[in-house]
Amino acid sequence: MPNTDNTHREIQELLADYAGALRDGCLPTFLKSLTREEAKRISESQDFWEAAEVVRLMNSAGFGDHVVTPDVGLFISRVDAGIASRQKKKAGASARERSRSTVDVQ
Amino acid sequence: MDKLLRNALKQLTAPDAESRRRAMEPFVRATFAIFIRHLHRYLGNEVECEDVLEDVYADIWENPEHLRAIENEQQLLRTVYLYYMRKRLREVYRRMNRSSYLSQTDVQNLVAPELSLCDLISQSELKQVLHKLLGKLKARERKAIELWMEGMSNRAIANQLGTTVGAVKMLEFRTVLKLRRMLKEYCEED
Repeated sequence: MPNTDNTHREIQELLADYAGALRDGCLPTFLKSLTREEAKRISESQDFWEAAEVVRLMNSAGFGDHVVTPDVGLFISRVDAGIASRQKKKAGASARERSRSTVDVQ
Repeated sequence: MDKLLRNALKQLTAPDAESRRRAMEPFVRATFAIFIRHLHRYLGNEVECEDVLEDVYADIWENPEHLRAIENEQQLLRTVYLYYMRKRLREVYRRMNRSSYLSQTDVQNLVAPELSLCDLISQSELKQVLHKLLGKLKARERKAIELWMEGMSNRAIANQLGTTVGAVKMLEFRTVLKLRRMLKEYCEED
Protein backbone atom coordinates (compact mmCIF):
# COMPACT_ATOMS: atom_id res chain seq x y z
CA MET A 1 0.00 0.00 0.00
CA PRO A 2 1.47 3.41 -0.93
CA ASN A 3 2.38 5.77 1.86
CA THR A 4 -0.22 8.54 1.93
CA ASP A 5 1.25 10.24 4.99
CA ASN A 6 1.87 13.84 3.99
CA THR A 7 3.17 15.13 7.31
CA HIS A 8 6.78 14.91 6.11
CA ARG A 9 8.30 17.95 4.48
CA GLU A 10 9.03 17.83 0.75
CA ILE A 11 12.58 18.39 -0.43
CA GLN A 12 11.96 22.06 -1.37
CA GLU A 13 10.56 22.68 2.11
CA LEU A 14 13.56 20.97 3.68
CA LEU A 15 15.89 23.19 1.69
CA ALA A 16 13.95 26.31 2.71
CA ASP A 17 14.16 25.25 6.36
CA TYR A 18 17.89 24.46 6.06
CA ALA A 19 18.47 27.87 4.46
CA GLY A 20 16.46 29.58 7.22
CA ALA A 21 18.35 27.72 9.94
CA LEU A 22 21.70 28.60 8.39
CA ARG A 23 20.69 32.24 8.07
CA ASP A 24 19.49 32.36 11.69
CA GLY A 25 22.52 30.42 12.97
CA CYS A 26 20.46 27.56 14.41
CA LEU A 27 21.44 24.49 12.39
CA PRO A 28 21.04 22.11 15.38
CA THR A 29 17.32 22.98 15.54
CA PHE A 30 16.96 22.03 11.87
CA LEU A 31 18.92 18.80 12.34
CA LYS A 32 16.80 17.81 15.34
CA SER A 33 13.56 18.62 13.53
CA LEU A 34 14.12 16.00 10.82
CA THR A 35 11.98 12.87 10.81
CA ARG A 36 13.44 9.55 9.69
CA GLU A 37 11.66 9.89 6.33
CA GLU A 38 12.91 13.47 5.82
CA ALA A 39 16.48 12.47 6.64
CA LYS A 40 16.17 9.72 4.02
CA ARG A 41 14.81 12.22 1.48
CA ILE A 42 17.76 14.54 2.08
CA SER A 43 20.25 11.72 1.91
CA GLU A 44 18.91 10.51 -1.45
CA SER A 45 18.31 13.87 -3.11
CA GLN A 46 21.15 15.08 -5.32
CA ASP A 47 19.16 18.29 -5.89
CA PHE A 48 19.15 19.04 -2.16
CA TRP A 49 22.94 18.77 -1.89
CA GLU A 50 23.48 20.89 -4.98
CA ALA A 51 21.03 23.53 -3.81
CA ALA A 52 22.58 23.52 -0.30
CA GLU A 53 25.91 24.46 -1.91
CA VAL A 54 24.37 27.62 -3.39
CA VAL A 55 22.44 28.41 -0.21
CA ARG A 56 25.76 28.49 1.67
CA LEU A 57 27.21 30.91 -0.88
CA MET A 58 24.08 33.09 -0.74
CA ASN A 59 24.25 33.09 3.04
CA SER A 60 27.86 34.16 2.87
CA ALA A 61 27.24 36.92 0.33
CA GLY A 62 24.15 38.20 2.14
CA PHE A 63 25.17 37.95 5.77
CA GLY A 64 28.88 37.03 5.92
CA ASP A 65 29.99 40.59 6.59
CA HIS A 66 28.05 40.75 9.86
CA VAL A 67 30.39 38.24 11.53
CA VAL A 68 33.54 40.26 11.02
CA THR A 69 34.33 41.92 14.34
CA PRO A 70 35.75 45.43 13.80
CA ASP A 71 38.36 44.92 16.53
CA VAL A 72 40.06 41.53 16.54
CA GLY A 73 42.15 42.39 19.64
CA LEU A 74 39.91 40.47 22.02
CA PHE A 75 39.84 37.48 19.71
CA ILE A 76 43.65 37.53 19.46
CA SER A 77 43.81 37.36 23.28
CA ARG A 78 41.59 34.28 23.19
CA VAL A 79 43.83 32.64 20.59
CA ASP A 80 46.93 33.47 22.63
CA ALA A 81 45.36 32.07 25.81
CA GLY A 82 44.51 28.87 23.91
CA ILE A 83 48.09 28.56 22.69
CA ALA A 84 49.46 29.25 26.19
CA SER A 85 47.24 26.51 27.58
CA ARG A 86 48.47 24.03 24.96
CA GLN A 87 52.08 25.01 25.68
CA LYS A 88 51.47 24.42 29.40
CA LYS A 89 49.89 21.03 28.72
CA LYS A 90 52.84 20.03 26.53
CA ALA A 91 55.35 21.16 29.17
CA GLY A 92 53.42 19.25 31.86
CA ALA A 93 53.31 16.12 29.72
CA SER A 94 57.06 16.19 29.02
CA ALA A 95 57.85 16.85 32.75
CA ARG A 96 55.73 13.82 33.70
CA GLU A 97 57.50 11.79 31.01
CA ARG A 98 60.93 12.82 32.41
CA SER A 99 60.03 11.98 36.02
CA ARG A 100 58.61 8.61 34.91
CA SER A 101 61.84 7.70 33.08
CA THR A 102 63.93 8.78 36.17
CA VAL A 103 61.86 6.48 38.39
CA ASP A 104 62.32 3.63 35.88
CA VAL A 105 66.11 4.06 35.92
CA GLN A 106 66.21 4.01 39.76
CA MET B 1 49.66 38.40 -1.37
CA ASP B 2 49.76 41.18 1.24
CA LYS B 3 53.31 41.82 2.59
CA LEU B 4 52.08 41.64 6.19
CA LEU B 5 50.52 38.24 5.57
CA ARG B 6 53.61 36.96 3.73
CA ASN B 7 55.86 37.92 6.66
CA ALA B 8 53.45 36.44 9.21
CA LEU B 9 53.37 33.17 7.27
CA LYS B 10 57.16 33.06 7.19
CA GLN B 11 57.35 33.53 10.98
CA LEU B 12 54.56 31.08 11.53
CA THR B 13 56.52 28.22 10.05
CA ALA B 14 59.55 28.90 12.29
CA PRO B 15 60.79 25.86 14.21
CA ASP B 16 60.53 27.31 17.73
CA ALA B 17 57.13 27.56 19.35
CA GLU B 18 57.72 31.00 20.92
CA SER B 19 58.43 32.67 17.54
CA ARG B 20 55.34 31.04 16.14
CA ARG B 21 53.30 32.35 19.07
CA ARG B 22 54.57 35.89 18.42
CA ALA B 23 53.76 35.54 14.71
CA MET B 24 50.18 34.60 15.48
CA GLU B 25 49.00 38.15 16.15
CA PRO B 26 49.86 39.58 12.70
CA PHE B 27 48.65 36.35 11.11
CA VAL B 28 45.27 36.59 12.85
CA ARG B 29 44.98 40.27 11.95
CA ALA B 30 45.67 39.51 8.29
CA THR B 31 43.40 36.49 7.98
CA PHE B 32 40.56 36.80 10.53
CA ALA B 33 38.07 38.39 8.12
CA ILE B 34 38.77 35.86 5.35
CA PHE B 35 38.52 32.81 7.61
CA ILE B 36 35.50 33.89 9.68
CA ARG B 37 33.49 34.69 6.53
CA HIS B 38 34.36 31.29 5.13
CA LEU B 39 33.30 29.52 8.32
CA HIS B 40 30.06 31.48 8.37
CA ARG B 41 29.08 29.73 5.13
CA TYR B 42 28.82 26.43 6.95
CA LEU B 43 27.67 27.39 10.45
CA GLY B 44 25.84 30.71 10.11
CA ASN B 45 26.44 31.36 13.79
CA GLU B 46 28.90 34.02 14.92
CA VAL B 47 29.70 32.44 18.29
CA GLU B 48 30.30 28.97 16.85
CA CYS B 49 32.42 30.48 14.04
CA GLU B 50 34.68 32.24 16.57
CA ASP B 51 35.00 29.10 18.72
CA VAL B 52 35.98 26.99 15.71
CA LEU B 53 38.39 29.62 14.44
CA GLU B 54 40.08 29.89 17.84
CA ASP B 55 40.87 26.16 17.69
CA VAL B 56 41.92 26.44 14.04
CA TYR B 57 44.53 29.11 14.89
CA ALA B 58 45.83 27.06 17.83
CA ASP B 59 46.08 24.00 15.53
CA ILE B 60 48.01 26.10 13.01
CA TRP B 61 50.40 27.22 15.76
CA GLU B 62 50.91 23.62 16.86
CA ASN B 63 51.38 22.16 13.40
CA PRO B 64 52.02 24.79 10.70
CA GLU B 65 53.64 22.35 8.24
CA HIS B 66 50.90 22.65 5.61
CA LEU B 67 51.41 26.41 5.34
CA ARG B 68 55.04 26.26 4.17
CA ALA B 69 54.63 26.87 0.45
CA ILE B 70 51.62 29.17 0.33
CA GLU B 71 51.78 31.62 -2.54
CA ASN B 72 48.43 33.36 -2.62
CA GLU B 73 45.29 34.00 -0.57
CA GLN B 74 43.21 31.44 -2.44
CA GLN B 75 45.77 28.72 -1.81
CA LEU B 76 45.94 29.76 1.85
CA LEU B 77 42.17 29.50 2.30
CA ARG B 78 42.05 26.14 0.51
CA THR B 79 44.87 24.72 2.64
CA VAL B 80 43.49 26.06 5.90
CA TYR B 81 40.01 24.71 5.07
CA LEU B 82 41.21 21.26 4.06
CA TYR B 83 43.82 20.69 6.77
CA TYR B 84 42.55 22.67 9.77
CA MET B 85 38.99 24.01 9.47
CA ARG B 86 37.28 20.91 8.13
CA LYS B 87 38.48 18.75 11.01
CA ARG B 88 37.16 21.27 13.53
CA LEU B 89 33.88 21.80 11.65
CA ARG B 90 33.25 18.05 11.72
CA GLU B 91 33.54 18.13 15.49
CA VAL B 92 30.99 20.92 15.98
CA TYR B 93 27.93 18.72 15.50
CA ARG B 94 29.66 15.38 15.99
CA ARG B 95 27.20 14.32 18.63
CA MET B 96 24.20 15.67 16.72
CA ASN B 97 23.46 12.37 14.98
CA ARG B 98 22.36 10.98 18.36
CA SER B 99 19.38 13.34 18.32
CA SER B 100 18.95 13.57 14.53
CA TYR B 101 17.94 10.95 11.99
CA LEU B 102 20.50 12.30 9.55
CA SER B 103 23.53 10.01 9.37
CA GLN B 104 26.92 11.16 10.66
CA THR B 105 28.21 11.34 7.07
CA ASP B 106 25.28 13.53 5.96
CA VAL B 107 25.71 15.86 8.95
CA GLN B 108 29.39 16.15 8.05
CA ASN B 109 28.57 16.80 4.40
CA LEU B 110 26.23 19.56 5.45
CA VAL B 111 28.58 21.24 7.92
CA ALA B 112 32.03 20.41 6.51
CA PRO B 113 31.56 19.55 2.82
CA GLU B 114 34.18 18.91 0.16
CA LEU B 115 35.32 22.16 -1.43
CA SER B 116 33.47 22.86 -4.64
CA LEU B 117 34.79 24.90 -7.53
CA CYS B 118 32.94 28.03 -6.41
CA ASP B 119 33.81 27.78 -2.71
CA LEU B 120 37.10 29.60 -3.08
CA ILE B 121 35.69 32.70 -4.74
CA SER B 122 36.53 35.70 -2.57
CA GLN B 123 33.70 37.48 -0.78
CA SER B 124 33.82 40.54 -3.05
CA GLU B 125 33.90 38.45 -6.23
CA LEU B 126 31.07 36.27 -4.94
CA LYS B 127 28.88 39.32 -4.40
CA GLN B 128 29.65 40.60 -7.89
CA VAL B 129 29.00 37.23 -9.53
CA LEU B 130 25.73 36.67 -7.67
CA HIS B 131 24.59 40.18 -8.59
CA LYS B 132 25.40 39.49 -12.24
CA LEU B 133 23.69 36.09 -12.25
CA LEU B 134 20.60 37.38 -10.44
CA GLY B 135 20.24 39.85 -13.31
CA LYS B 136 19.89 36.92 -15.70
CA LEU B 137 16.94 35.40 -13.82
CA LYS B 138 13.25 36.03 -14.44
CA ALA B 139 11.88 38.99 -12.45
CA ARG B 140 9.89 36.79 -10.03
CA GLU B 141 12.82 34.44 -9.41
CA ARG B 142 15.20 37.34 -8.81
CA LYS B 143 12.76 39.06 -6.45
CA ALA B 144 12.35 35.90 -4.33
CA ILE B 145 16.11 35.43 -3.95
CA GLU B 146 16.84 39.10 -3.34
CA LEU B 147 14.17 39.30 -0.63
CA TRP B 148 15.53 36.14 0.99
CA MET B 149 19.02 37.61 0.98
CA GLU B 150 17.66 40.75 2.62
CA GLY B 151 16.60 38.55 5.52
CA MET B 152 12.84 38.26 4.84
CA SER B 153 10.89 35.18 5.91
CA ASN B 154 9.18 32.99 3.32
CA ARG B 155 5.80 34.20 4.55
CA ALA B 156 6.82 37.84 4.01
CA ILE B 157 8.19 36.96 0.56
CA ALA B 158 4.91 35.19 -0.26
CA ASN B 159 2.98 38.32 0.74
CA GLN B 160 5.22 40.47 -1.45
CA LEU B 161 4.81 38.16 -4.43
CA GLY B 162 1.11 37.61 -3.82
CA THR B 163 1.40 33.84 -3.55
CA THR B 164 1.53 31.03 -0.99
CA VAL B 165 4.47 30.05 1.24
CA GLY B 166 4.56 26.63 -0.47
CA ALA B 167 4.84 28.25 -3.91
CA VAL B 168 7.66 30.50 -2.66
CA LYS B 169 9.62 27.51 -1.33
CA MET B 170 9.24 25.73 -4.67
CA LEU B 171 10.22 28.89 -6.58
CA GLU B 172 13.32 29.34 -4.38
CA PHE B 173 14.32 25.69 -4.76
CA ARG B 174 14.10 25.80 -8.57
CA THR B 175 15.84 29.17 -8.73
CA VAL B 176 18.67 28.04 -6.48
CA LEU B 177 19.26 25.01 -8.72
CA LYS B 178 19.21 27.31 -11.74
CA LEU B 179 21.72 29.61 -10.01
CA ARG B 180 23.94 26.61 -9.29
CA ARG B 181 24.10 25.70 -12.98
CA MET B 182 24.97 29.30 -13.85
CA LEU B 183 27.58 29.51 -11.06
CA LYS B 184 29.18 26.25 -12.18
CA GLU B 185 29.45 27.55 -15.75
CA TYR B 186 31.01 30.78 -14.43
CA CYS B 187 33.56 28.95 -12.29
CA GLU B 188 34.49 26.52 -15.07
CA GLU B 189 34.98 29.38 -17.53
CA ASP B 190 37.09 31.19 -14.95
